[in-house]
Amino acid sequence: MIEEEIKPFESASEPQRRTTDFRPLDSRVVKLWRVSCLIGFGVLLLSLLIPVVAAGVAEPRTLVWLAVAWLATASAAVWFCLWYPPRLYRSWGYRIDAKVLETRSGRLFQRARLLPLSRLQHVDIERGPLERMFGLAALVLHTAGTHSANIRIPGLEAAEAMRLRDHLIEIGGDDAV
Amino acid sequence: MQSESLAASVFEGRLHPLTIAFSLLKAARGIIPAMSLLFFGNKVFGFMLLMAVVASTVATALARYFTFTYRIEGNELITQHGILERKQRSIPLERIQEIRVEQGVLHRVFDVVDAKIETGGGGGAEASLSVLSRSEVERLRRAVFERAARVRGEAGAGQGEERVAVAPGRVIIRRLGLKDLALLGLTTNHLISALALAGAIWNFAEDLLHDSFYKRAQETLYRESSRFFMRDAAPAVALALAVALAVILIGMIFSTAIAIIRFYGFTLSLSGEDLHRRYGLLTRRSSSLPRRRIQVLKIEEKLFRRLFGLATLRADTSGDHRDKEDDDSGRDVLLPITRRSAVDPLLRIFFPDFDAGPTGGAEVAGGVEWRRVSRLAVRRGAIKGAVVCALAAAILFAANWRMAALWPLALTPLVYFVSVANYRNLGYMLSGRYFCARRGWAGRSTHVVPIDKIQAVEVHQSPLDRRLGLATLSVDTAGQAYTGGGPRINNLPIDEAREIAAALAHRASATRYIGDRRSRIENG
Repeated sequence: MIEEEIKPFESASEPQRRTTDFRPLDSRVVKLWRVSCLIGFGVLLLSLLIPVVAAGVAEPRTLVWLAVAWLATASAAVWFCLWYPPRLYRSWGYRIDAKVLETRSGRLFQRARLLPLSRLQHVDIERGPLERMFGLAALVLHTAGTHSANIRIPGLEAAEAMRLRDHLIEIGGDDAV
Repeated sequence: MQSESLAASVFEGRLHPLTIAFSLLKAARGIIPAMSLLFFGNKVFGFMLLMAVVASTVATALARYFTFTYRIEGNELITQHGILERKQRSIPLERIQEIRVEQGVLHRVFDVVDAKIETGGGGGAEASLSVLSRSEVERLRRAVFERAARVRGEAGAGQGEERVAVAPGRVIIRRLGLKDLALLGLTTNHLISALALAGAIWNFAEDLLHDSFYKRAQETLYRESSRFFMRDAAPAVALALAVALAVILIGMIFSTAIAIIRFYGFTLSLSGEDLHRRYGLLTRRSSSLPRRRIQVLKIEEKLFRRLFGLATLRADTSGDHRDKEDDDSGRDVLLPITRRSAVDPLLRIFFPDFDAGPTGGAEVAGGVEWRRVSRLAVRRGAIKGAVVCALAAAILFAANWRMAALWPLALTPLVYFVSVANYRNLGYMLSGRYFCARRGWAGRSTHVVPIDKIQAVEVHQSPLDRRLGLATLSVDTAGQAYTGGGPRINNLPIDEAREIAAALAHRASATRYIGDRRSRIENG
């Protein structure tokens, strides 16, 4: 077997590593995140409404204050659901070269994850009802790793997700552990 | 050709006849409590119940022995048992990580063993063959690993890879004598062993002694000690010291005894590609793992061991499941104790293509060497420590309003020295095939990861990291049950972290497994 010369780290300018720019997610994901955020908070707030009303009926004087507190919480939640998704969207990006898939995400705590494509075990496409409504899909990449065994790229355009999956399966997929 | 004859030959086997005796013995432990029914409950009913239990146990044991078979068919090891409902399990040969063997005292009398077949999946043993004769296990092990090697050889045949079919003789890498084991025991954390011992004695005594005895002992002790302490403080201090010393001494004796019982006759050897371990005074255990299956190796230098220049080696294969039992049975360590200076030559045995510099030295000229993180780490560590000290002082002061409560502030200079020491020990080493990371000052741990075992790389930045231009780099591998997670290095300059991450990911992606652990770099 031919043992090729391995360059030390100092001259680690591997020829196949051409840095490309990060690709953004599909911009419809902002809407998706807003809707799912509103639904999540909505359920929570509505279930909070029951004890609020109950307490208000039992002690009518507190009703005003409880209602004010509830409304304040609700408007804060709505504001957050409108404010946060576009920022999260801007922080998200992914790029693929011949060997590595890289994602970056997070606003306050930023992280970049790099997945050597030959370590890819399998690729899933996830489409919930909301995602189907917006024509989006999430790509989930599984490795044999422990802590970040799967990497999820949300909010891809459905056809793009399929294309990406086929591409990844084609170039990746050396199962050995 | 040899491979053809191997493929043609049929491998089949059955359990040892003593299986019946051992299963009955195991079941007997469950039956004995039921016997009490005979003496206390309704005698006729109790007797019938007991007979029913005994009969069903005997039937199960017989059925297990007579129906249990295993065979190798194609590339799978198949176990099968059951009369009405036939249970069959197929394990692909190339997924078998190791065949672990345990031999209790009674097993040794009859020269039989329990064999457990481990695969990469979490959740413990895939199949348990209990009991087999020793020679049968050897036969099984040889059959499994030779065939598995052949399967891999075929997979790599297209690449022109040649493989040695038959493993050469066994080479002993390390044997631990009583002196080593005593050292191992003495450097364990004694307080914990002493407490465990005290707990065990307490439990034991509680069963034997009557409650009133405790009460009397407690009263006497209290009376005597208060009279004793009234006179003078000095004897009290002396007594307390003596008690502490006694506890530590007992702890030392106890942990040495445990070390000897657990690891007596520890032998680590290499035959072909497989590392074998054999150890144990009462229960003899042996296991083997192919060295190319090592995903992460951890060189652990805990406080006491570090002081004496000793280290423990742990290794993870791809299973990620850890049992409490693993720690008690010593499965979690590859080599319980070794001189730190002997680790580097050992690394070259575990990883024949190890190409990084010495792992022990601080700075070594020539070749690949340790690199440090940003100097900002010192400032950061010191500030963090100082804040903790200040908070502790504030809380204590708030509690009793005395100047003396501010003593944690005096620790602040110490905090600085600790962060300098931590900084000196935090670092990484990246060679063509290996990535090493090291952290910790009082207790230091070094992770060695073959780059072809890297599953993912992550660069993480907290808001504070961003302000300082730093980042944390972590490397993910399969199976981190015994090494406590893969390498993680914080306080790296962000550009350097990105550069390393990209280099690691690209090199990992370019390597594949072909037959033996020899990786190949492709230019694409």
